[in-house]
Amino acid sequence: MLNVTLFPTPCYVFGVNVGLSVVMAWCVMALLLTGLVLLNILVVRKMKPAPTGAQNYVELIVDGIHRWAEGKVGHAADFVAPISMSLMAYVFFNTIVELFGLPPATKDLNCTFAIGLCVFITVNVSGFKFRGGLRGRIKGLCNPSAIVMPIRILTDFIAPCSIAIRLFANIMVGGIIMELIYMVVPIILPAAVASYFNVLHVGIQTFVVGLLSLIYVSEAIE
Amino acid sequence: MTLGLIAIGAAIAALCGAGAALGMGNATGKAVEAIARQPEAAGKINSSLMFGLIMMETCAVYALLVGILIVFILGAKA
Repeated sequence: MLNVTLFPTPCYVFGVNVGLSVVMAWCVMALLLTGLVLLNILVVRKMKPAPTGAQNYVELIVDGIHRWAEGKVGHAADFVAPISMSLMAYVFFNTIVELFGLPPATKDLNCTFAIGLCVFITVNVSGFKFRGGLRGRIKGLCNPSAIVMPIRILTDFIAPCSIAIRLFANIMVGGIIMELIYMVVPIILPAAVASYFNVLHVGIQTFVVGLLSLIYVSEAIE
Repeated sequence: MTLGLIAIGAAIAALCGAGAALGMGNATGKAVEAIARQPEAAGKINSSLMFGLIMMETCAVYALLVGILIVFILGAKA
């Protein structure tokens, strides 16, 4: 029988139980930051007007996400696109480690609820920022009429929980299905199925997190 | 007896997939019709379709999670 639980796997750092997912997230973030600093030194500092080599890919990713965000949130893209891209990078690299047999950090409800909290803060800050303070935000919340305001506030609180539980459920269920397949057919078939559950699925979830954060921001600032 | 009831509970949770499938099929069909009628609006239609599909997929994934939790957590206890 598989051992399935909603609680995080315990992991002790200097005698304090911080959970395995937090340690995994720290390791992934350390690697990611090292990679980004190297990228900054090797590529971004030497940017030329006519791109060559790696600069093409950097521009492709940054510009692509910026343009995608512009299509969703318009002029707020300068503020929202970097946040959305950071969330996507975090989710992508913390989930893709499952491909190397490591426990992904997003398999833990604490991690995904932290991502949901980031989305909640982004939505509210951009709501205040682009609608002109508290009055504009409240006016935006009672958009069709004042009666819908409680429902829209409730939606604002539920949306991050929905992001969190969706991400958690997707990653956890993908892991469980992979383990079941390993139990039944230990050779050949897992390699084929892993290309969906550990590679493509990760990309889809990353895309979904970015898209949902942009859509909730666009609802807050419209 | 208890294991059988747990299995039936998981099966009922999985019924949610039928609703999600109906919704996804309906939405995709309508989107294809709309693109056939107005091919230049394909980009906008695709992004709205994607949002709707994500919402429906969430519903199905919740059902899957509930089903799996019923089977593995309640089933391990029984």
